Amino acid sequence: MAVDVQQPRVPSWQRGRVAGWLVTVDHKRIGILYIATAGLFFAISGFLALLIRSQLATADGGVVTGNSYNEVVTMHGTGMVFFVIVPILAGLGNYLVPLMIGASDMAFPRLNALSYWLFAFGGIVFCASFFAAGGAANTGWTAYPPLSVLAQGNGQDLWILSLHILTLSSAAGAINFIVTIHNMRARGMSWMRLPLFVWSIEIYAAMLLIILPVLSAGLTLLLLERQFPDTFHFFVPEGGGSPILFQHVFWFFGHPEVYVMILPAMGIISEILPVFARKPIFGYKAIALSTVAIGFFSLLVWAHHMFTVGLPTYLNIWFMLASMVIAVPTGIKIFNWLATLWHGNISLDTAMLFALGFVSIFTIGGLSGIYLAAFPIDWQVHDTYFVVAHFHYVLFGGSVFAILGGLFYWWPKIFGRFLSEKLGKWAFTLIFIGFNVTFFPQHLLGLLGMPRRVYTYRDDGLWEAYNLVSTIGSYVMGLGFVFFLVAIVRSRHGRRAGNDPWQGDTLEWYTTSPPPPHNFDDVPYVTSARPLYDLRRRKRREGATT
Amino acid sequence: MPAPVRCNPKTVVPAVALLALLAAAAPAGAGNGGFAPVPPESPNAEGITESFWLVSSICLGIFLLVEGLLIAFVIRYRRRNRPRDADGAQIHGSSALELAWTAFPVVLLVVIATFVFVKLPGIQDVPAASAGRENLEIEVIGTQFTWEYRYPNGVIAVDRLRVPQGRTVELHVTAPDWDVIHSWWIPALGGKIDAIPGRVNETWFRADRTGVFDGQCAELCGIYHAKMTAAAEVMPASEFDAWLEERGTQQADGSSPLGEETWEGSCAKCHGLDGEGGYGPRIAGTTLIDDTEAIEQLLRNGRGNMPPVGRDWDDAQIDALTSYLEQNLGG
Repeated sequence: MAVDVQQPRVPSWQRGRVAGWLVTVDHKRIGILYIATAGLFFAISGFLALLIRSQLATADGGVVTGNSYNEVVTMHGTGMVFFVIVPILAGLGNYLVPLMIGASDMAFPRLNALSYWLFAFGGIVFCASFFAAGGAANTGWTAYPPLSVLAQGNGQDLWILSLHILTLSSAAGAINFIVTIHNMRARGMSWMRLPLFVWSIEIYAAMLLIILPVLSAGLTLLLLERQFPDTFHFFVPEGGGSPILFQHVFWFFGHPEVYVMILPAMGIISEILPVFARKPIFGYKAIALSTVAIGFFSLLVWAHHMFTVGLPTYLNIWFMLASMVIAVPTGIKIFNWLATLWHGNISLDTAMLFALGFVSIFTIGGLSGIYLAAFPIDWQVHDTYFVVAHFHYVLFGGSVFAILGGLFYWWPKIFGRFLSEKLGKWAFTLIFIGFNVTFFPQHLLGLLGMPRRVYTYRDDGLWEAYNLVSTIGSYVMGLGFVFFLVAIVRSRHGRRAGNDPWQGDTLEWYTTSPPPPHNFDDVPYVTSARPLYDLRRRKRREGATT
Repeated sequence: MPAPVRCNPKTVVPAVALLALLAAAAPAGAGNGGFAPVPPESPNAEGITESFWLVSSICLGIFLLVEGLLIAFVIRYRRRNRPRDADGAQIHGSSALELAWTAFPVVLLVVIATFVFVKLPGIQDVPAASAGRENLEIEVIGTQFTWEYRYPNGVIAVDRLRVPQGRTVELHVTAPDWDVIHSWWIPALGGKIDAIPGRVNETWFRADRTGVFDGQCAELCGIYHAKMTAAAEVMPASEFDAWLEERGTQQADGSSPLGEETWEGSCAKCHGLDGEGGYGPRIAGTTLIDDTEAIEQLLRNGRGNMPPVGRDWDDAQIDALTSYLEQNLGG
């Protein structure tokens, strides 16, 4: 079937090497812009992380002052959550969702461009806050009032504004994803044939739409009370406000946000494991439904971040039980992934190594979450380095490992060339070892009594030893990312990839690498969750008969 | 069509054994070493530590199972000499297995939740006072960046909490309206509880052994959050009673160390231990020191970055501080 692709008339100035990217509404270019911009923020926030670890290498470190330390901690956390992980997933989603469902673009290409540029603009405001009067925000990524209301200078205000802009960007992006996934799937692609990554993006988008308005509201109140402290009294008790109200608002957003960051990561893992084990995913329906279940339950557990504020016992019990319930669909995913490996033909390419690393590390992060859900135990470990270790096991060992695996997996599709496997394996080894050396001892520090967000700590043998080990681990990880960066630079001249270098199962591998602007000349009828596997088998059979 | 299950014991057993060995050796080698909460010195902390061990044993089991299977499968089913694109077993799933690994975690979680519920009253509920053994009630007030304690007889102490051995201590934890959120925490004496402006939270402990137990603020409260340390000194009951009474008399006649404690706790963290300045301006030798009125104004109202630390202090505490300043930091 010949397809007549009508190229829209583009004014010549818009076709320049730079201008072409500035005015693009192509989901693939926007996806690449998202990933590159988020990569830049990753470098900035990662540098801040190394500053934190350098300061904490000794009990009384002098790398930064107490005040700058609080700024560094705040910007590292906010940067990683809002400007790295969520947008990089948005970028991968942007690039992959239309390709995976056999569409030619997102439903609203211009809205898509708006999403990206709002994100970039929000990022600029965020970075600019370092130069604000009084320095950047220094009240932690959670910005609890009254501290965040009393904070002097404009750093906190710019922090709020940057997140406001980002909220708009994410909401527009989420709407776009949902409309695209609901309306633009290829013929034959029923919900039970949807790639699991697309499933995860669907839930990611739905959750964002539910929680972002709540964050916006909370931030607006915070901004109003900061700017007009005599008029508005939402959170500061002096005028009749309640500081706990903000915590409810923030965590109603904040906890599902964690799943916004982990569900697409899990989706990536569900794409990589079967391809490199040469098997169908084990329990497709169970994994898809567990994604929905996690998304739903994550909306009901927010106050497990608030077990120490003195809530009534019946609330503590509810939030403990609801949090524990999430362990069940999470466990379902992990066991299904393990079963996917069973009797497979496993190739240990870098993408697969990161995916396997994800499973092993995320398991630890999931298990340490049980301690936090059981609220009497949480009374001990809350706001300590145990929590820091826990969420890095989930968000770094989880999300970032999956993103790195995803980049190694889809790089040949996006750029038509492979990332170096040799450098990739070095990067994986260093990051995997460095990660565990950095974050495992932090569990122990928390149990020993070290709170988070401190720039100096007790001069005690074990505290210093574990902190030093953790710092060394972070440098090893940093070195691993240098290898990754070199792999990216070298990939300009890397080995060329064909359409389907990994013998993948999903539609993105059907088109060329990189795909043409319109994505597909034709899209095969989708006969299962693995249309390309079916296609290959059909071709083999035809080849055998003729 | 499920393929026959063939778990090769040659690979699984050593892998699991190795992991088990490592996991078991680590805490043994390091004593407690951070592999469990700080050794408990109070019944509530004990309840928490017991819950911790229950959760840990279950988590260790799941950890060994998952990581063991992961490693075993990767080793057993790696490609070796097979062609890269050779199909693995085309198994799509198994309802029985799905059911099993849904039910199995549910059972474990029920065990954990039940255990926690059983332990909860012992952790949370303040033991009733018995005859001749009244509970000691102390008000704990967190301000940037110090802890203030108020005893029933009016005695005020800063940062170091003195308590009697073997007697239940009830803490009413709060923060002033104009301050920020802090979190009270001495790990050996139980979990933490937030000190929230405009709200009073209750917690308790009963230390059965004398000694000094360290802790610190656990909620980011500003620039010197890290320096907002606390210590609980558990004294023999008779010694404590004597201390409390003596401190009461001293406070009445103005000879108590309250001025010095307040200086070190409230002022010195920003202005330096000798008033030489730091985050806050230099005070030592300035004209301000002799101007009691101006100091009181400053303490009660704050200025710029300086919070109104002394807004709720009574005159005795203000006087104790101003006379300490005059004696020690005057020009």
